[in-house]
Amino acid sequence: MGFLDIRNATKAYGSVQVLHEVDITVEEGEFLVLVGPSGCGKSTLLNMIAGLEDITSGEISIKGQPMNGVHPSKRNIAMVFQSYALYPNMTVGQNITFGLEMHGVPKTKRDQAMADVAKLLQIEPLLARKPGQLSGGQRQRVAMGRALVRNPDVFLFDEPLSNLDAKLRVDMRTEIKKLHQKLGTTIVYVTHDQIEAMTLSTRIAVMNGGYVQQLGTPKEIYDNPANLFVATFMGSPSMNLIDVTLRVEGNSVFADTTDAKGARISLPINASVNGLDGKNAILGLRPEALTDVDGSDARATQIAHVPNEVTVTEPAGSDTFVTTSFGGKDCVARMRADADAKPGERVTFAFNMDKAVLFDPETEARIA
Amino acid sequence: MMAIASTDTAIRSGRVTRTFLYLVLLLFALFYLLPFAIMVMNSMKPLDEITGGNMMAFPTDWTLEPWRKAWSEAQVGVDATGLRPYFYNSLIMAIPAVMLSTFFGALNGYVLTKWQFRGHNIVFGLLLFSCFIPFQIVLIPMARMLGIFGLAGSTGGLILVHFVYGIGFTTLYFRNYYAAFPTELIRAAQIDGAGFFRIFWRILLPSSGPIIAVSFIWQFTNIWNDFLFGASFADFSSQPMTVALNNLVQSSTGVKEYNVHFAGAIYAAIPTLLVYIVAGRYFVRGLMAGSVKG
Ligand SMILES: Nc1ncnc2c1ncn2[C@@H]1O[C@H](COP(=O)(O)OP(=O)(O)OP(=O)(O)O)[C@@H](O)[C@H]1O
Ligand SMILES: [Mg+2]
Repeated sequence: MGFLDIRNATKAYGSVQVLHEVDITVEEGEFLVLVGPSGCGKSTLLNMIAGLEDITSGEISIKGQPMNGVHPSKRNIAMVFQSYALYPNMTVGQNITFGLEMHGVPKTKRDQAMADVAKLLQIEPLLARKPGQLSGGQRQRVAMGRALVRNPDVFLFDEPLSNLDAKLRVDMRTEIKKLHQKLGTTIVYVTHDQIEAMTLSTRIAVMNGGYVQQLGTPKEIYDNPANLFVATFMGSPSMNLIDVTLRVEGNSVFADTTDAKGARISLPINASVNGLDGKNAILGLRPEALTDVDGSDARATQIAHVPNEVTVTEPAGSDTFVTTSFGGKDCVARMRADADAKPGERVTFAFNMDKAVLFDPETEARIA
Repeated sequence: MMAIASTDTAIRSGRVTRTFLYLVLLLFALFYLLPFAIMVMNSMKPLDEITGGNMMAFPTDWTLEPWRKAWSEAQVGVDATGLRPYFYNSLIMAIPAVMLSTFFGALNGYVLTKWQFRGHNIVFGLLLFSCFIPFQIVLIPMARMLGIFGLAGSTGGLILVHFVYGIGFTTLYFRNYYAAFPTELIRAAQIDGAGFFRIFWRILLPSSGPIIAVSFIWQFTNIWNDFLFGASFADFSSQPMTVALNNLVQSSTGVKEYNVHFAGAIYAAIPTLLVYIVAGRYFVRGLMAGSVKG
C-alpha cells in the first residue's frame, strides 16, 4: 500500500464514462505527473483526489485512510489551480492564511507560518498587496504559498504553469522542482506539456480517452512506450514512425521498407523470431536514434547504415534536424550541427536499432 | 501635400459633425429637464402667481412657503399632517425591502451558479416569472395572503410584498454576475475549509460591489415609486409617499394649491434622484461588468 492509492477509480457523468478503472499508487515523496491531451480526464482525476468531484466507483485513499466521501478540507491536501484562484478581495497575506484561519489556527501561529512561507518563496514584499497588483509569476508564487502553508500530505497542481509566458514557465518549472527536492513532499501534477512531464516527474501517467495508457518513470515512458499513443505523445520532435514488413531469416529478424527513391532497404531488428514473419508493423525510432554516421552512439550494439536523400534541413544551433523519407513517410534525423547534409543530396543515415520499437498497426500495441 | 490637405478636411468635417451632435444632445437634455425646471419654478412662487398668470414664468416673489406647507401642513387625506409621515412610511418600507431582496437575490444567485442542484434552471425560470408577471394579476391573492399572515394594511405587509416581488430581478442580476465568477475560487475556498456561508460572506459578497449597487438602485427606485401595491395594501397609517402625493393632489377640500403640489412631487422624487447621483456610476459599471467578463 502506498501513500496515495487510487484503486479502480472510475468517473461517469450520467452515461458518459470519462475515467476508466484508474489504478495508481504513489509513494511518499513522489512527483507524479498526469499528462495527456485536452479532455482526457486529467483534471477530473485530480479533482477526485481533492474531493471536489465524487468517485463513481473504486477507492482513493491517502496514508491508508479511505477518502471517498471525505470533505476536501479534511483530506489534508492542498491544490494549486490553473487560474491560481487567489481571492481577489484579500491581500496576499490573507490569501495565504485563509485556510489556516478556517481550520482554527490561532493568529500568532498563522503569522509565523505565513512568514516562513513568504521567506521560502521570496514574496515578503508582496504580502500587503492584492492579487490584482501582482504579475503572473508572482501570483503563481502566492498560489504555491497558499498551498505550502498548510503543510499538507499531498500537493495537487492543475496545469499551474500554463498561464505563464515561455521564459517564466521554464523558470517556475525549475523552481517547483527545487521546492520538491527541498521539501520532499508528495505531488500530483497535471499538465498537457510533455516536456514539463519529463523534467519534473519521478513517474508519469500518460492518459488518453479516460484510460491510463502507461505508468512509469520518464525514462521508461520515453524509451519503452507501451503503445503508439504514448510513443507519439511524448517527445519533441515526435518519434519517427516507419511502415515496415517483418522478415525472419534464420535467427534474425529484419524490417523491410523503402527509401526515398522506392528502393528496398532492410533493417536488422533485435527481437525474438516467433510469429513475426511476413507481419506488417510500425517501426518507431526517436530522432536522436537516427543520426549521421559520426554522430551515432558509440555504445550501441547494432547500428544500420542506410543512404537516403535529404529533403529538408533545419539547423537548430546545437543540432541540425534533417528530414528524409522512409517507407513513404517523412522521418526526422537529429544530426550534429556541422553534419554534412544538404537538401537533394544523398547522405548516410545511422539507425541505432537498439532503440527501435515495433508496434502493431491494427491494435497500436507494442510488439517488440 | 495631398495627404496634408485631406487630413485637414477630415478634422474639420469631424468637428462639424461633433458640434452638430452636441447641439442635438443639448436639445434633448433641455427637453428632458424642462418639466423638472417648471416644477421647481412653480414650487417657489405664491399660488396667485400660478392661478393668475403664466406657469412658464420665473417667480417674481421667491418663496419656500409651499415647500414647508407640503412637508408639514398640507391636507393629505383626513388630517393636515403634510407629507412628512408618509415620507417616513416610504423610507421604513423601502429600506428593509431593498436590503432583504438584495440579500436573498445574492444568496439565490450564489446557489444557482455555484451550488447547482438538479432542476436549478427550472427554479430560476420560475423566479423570472415574477419579473414579467403583470402585478394586477397578483393583487387579490396577495391581499388574501397578507390577511392570513395578519399583515394587511401594515408597513410590514408592504415590505413583504416588495421583498417577494423584488427577488426575481435581484436573483437575475446576481445569477448573471456570479456566473462569470470563477468557480475555481469556490473550490479553492472549499479546500481551505470554508463552508457554504463563509464562502458567501468572505469571498463572494466582498467582490460583488457593482452588482449590489445595481440591485440597490433598481430595487429602491421601483419600491419607492410603486403606487399599485401601496394603494392596494396600505391603510392610512402605512401609506407610502406616492399614494399620499396622489391624495394631496386629488384632495377636494379647499382651493387647489398647485405650488404645494409641485413641492410635494419634488419631495417624492428626491430620494431616487439622490440614489442615482450617489450610486449611478456603479449602476452603469455593474451592468457592464457581467457582459465584459461573461
Ligand atoms: N460536468 C460534466 N459533464 C459531462 N462531461 C464532463 C463534465 N466535466 C467534464 N466532462 C468531460 O470529461 C472529460 C475530461 O475532462 P477534464 O476536465 O478532466 O479534461 P482534462 O484532461 O483536464 O483536459 P484539459 O487539458 O483541457 O484541462 C472531458 O471530455 C469533458 O468533456
Ligand atoms: Mg484540465
